[in-house]
Amino acid sequence: MKTTWQLTLGMMGLATLLSGCATSGVKNPSGIPVTEMRADERGFVAGTGIESQDIVTVADKMARGLLSVPEIVNAKATPRIVCLPVKNDTAFPINKDIFLEEIMANLNEKAAGKMRFLARERMSELEAERNLKRTGAVTSSTDPNVQQFKGADFMLTGNLMGTTTTTSAGRSDYILYSFKLIDPNTSDVLWQGSHRIKKQGQSDAVYR
Amino acid sequence: MNALRWLCLPVVCLGLTACETTSSRSSIVLTGDPLVDGPAAIRNGPARDRVLWQYRMALAYLRRGQYPQAAAILDQALARINAIYGADKDAKKARNLFQTESKKGFIGEPYERVMAYYYRGILYWHAGEPDNARACFRNAQIIDADAENKSYAADYVLPDYLDGFINDDLGGDGADAIKRANENAKMWRPPGFDRAANVFFFVDYGNGPAKFATGEYSQELRFQCHDSPVRSARVRVGGRDLKAPPYDDLCFQATTRGGRVMDHILANKAVFKGTTATVGTAAIITGAVLATQHDTQTAGLAVMGAGLIATIISAATTPAADTRTWESLPLYLSFTFAQLPPGQQTATVEFFDASNRTIAGLAKTITFTVPERPAVPGSGQTGDVVIFVSDKSTTPQTL
Repeated sequence: MKTTWQLTLGMMGLATLLSGCATSGVKNPSGIPVTEMRADERGFVAGTGIESQDIVTVADKMARGLLSVPEIVNAKATPRIVCLPVKNDTAFPINKDIFLEEIMANLNEKAAGKMRFLARERMSELEAERNLKRTGAVTSSTDPNVQQFKGADFMLTGNLMGTTTTTSAGRSDYILYSFKLIDPNTSDVLWQGSHRIKKQGQSDAVYR
Repeated sequence: MNALRWLCLPVVCLGLTACETTSSRSSIVLTGDPLVDGPAAIRNGPARDRVLWQYRMALAYLRRGQYPQAAAILDQALARINAIYGADKDAKKARNLFQTESKKGFIGEPYERVMAYYYRGILYWHAGEPDNARACFRNAQIIDADAENKSYAADYVLPDYLDGFINDDLGGDGADAIKRANENAKMWRPPGFDRAANVFFFVDYGNGPAKFATGEYSQELRFQCHDSPVRSARVRVGGRDLKAPPYDDLCFQATTRGGRVMDHILANKAVFKGTTATVGTAAIITGAVLATQHDTQTAGLAVMGAGLIATIISAATTPAADTRTWESLPLYLSFTFAQLPPGQQTATVEFFDASNRTIAGLAKTITFTVPERPAVPGSGQTGDVVIFVSDKSTTPQTL
């Protein structure tokens, strides 16, 4: 009799265990708290494309590279730079302005006064303001009829190029980040900086 | 007395198996309109279906000409499908013997992911970012590159063609891409590039593939192809007729990739389920026979118990394939373009059947404005007008 009850209890225990495997409980009932991370840190949500840590790394490297360009370091007058939109030739859509904003912010923080950036992307608003001054609708501290918008001494351009390999073993993405400082008068490339990042990953079998 | 005790056992076991944790989510009443159902499903439904609803909503917005809304919601979906690498709790659950495949977070089969990128590419181009559009078309083709059947890997026509077209338009060399597109063209070959073109029409029509499951335990994923009454389209604009024949067939794409890795997992689950069911049934019968004899009663009951456990395990094993579908996708994809002067234009899109007869009631009218070409090429403003139209688009539209 004792053996029978032991067997019964054992089977009930096993059944309980198995039934537990089939439950579909509420996932993270308390939620997941916000995790603050550094922008140059690889997070737990990651892909093989362009991510925040890549942008920070590349922008920092390019800003340091630009600060060592002789034409900027030894310039008698503060050089004016125009940033052209980055050309994206990868398989990853990106916010193209973010690289140049990051580079400009880095340079303005680290080398304020050594170079100036021209806000060409705001030309329509700037022209509207100048026209208001010219018509006398608003005050002006200088003569608004004199052309004061400055031309560029240098142009900063960026190019993102990539190649992708996808097989049953996963996906591999290589991206070359390349930036150039160009003299618009001569088209000379005065400086070029680049950074390469290769990432590989494989998704869970349920997605393959 | 003994018999009574043993009768209690299955009842207790069944009671225990019923102790599943219930979901706190409220049920959703579907109306059939993705723009009503989608927000409700995303807010109150399971998180694993979120991307599916985002796909459906994005296409619904696109068909209404609400491009910014479509772009915003597609970005949310793409952010999820780009982050599927490495460990994933829901994916691990879906591999579990006792969980269905649909427990995984939906990202769609490759043809569905291709279409998410394809539509995002259209929207980027519409927003004046052709290089980001090219990135999306490129990624769309890459998603199809890991097919088991290599003969049909990366064999979409339009993603390659559009990659090359934009490359050419931006001053690059699109020759390789157009060559690949022409090699993959099985129905129609896309037209040659035209750098002077400034108005681009993406046209799609027909009903895309539906998913269903076959096999003893619904473990085999299959695709049902609908025969589309619409076989081609024509855009009439600026006094010209532009043909929009089908270049890509989504049903062909869905059915020619070959098997998935997940199919092997589901097949193993099905084998396990079948084996445990057979063993369980045999053990219960054998045990019952043994239990009738006084000398072997204890052993018989033990064998019956083991059989019962095996049966419970079999019942709990769920090899069913995931049949959640982005059902609003089209069957055929097409593209055409024109060079039009600046100013307001009206395009009429008509759809034709297999005999090249106009299908009544499907014509769409879109009014749009062609801008002046930008003064500075490469300034980020392309001056291109990109229009999406489907046989299910609302009409008339003013962009």
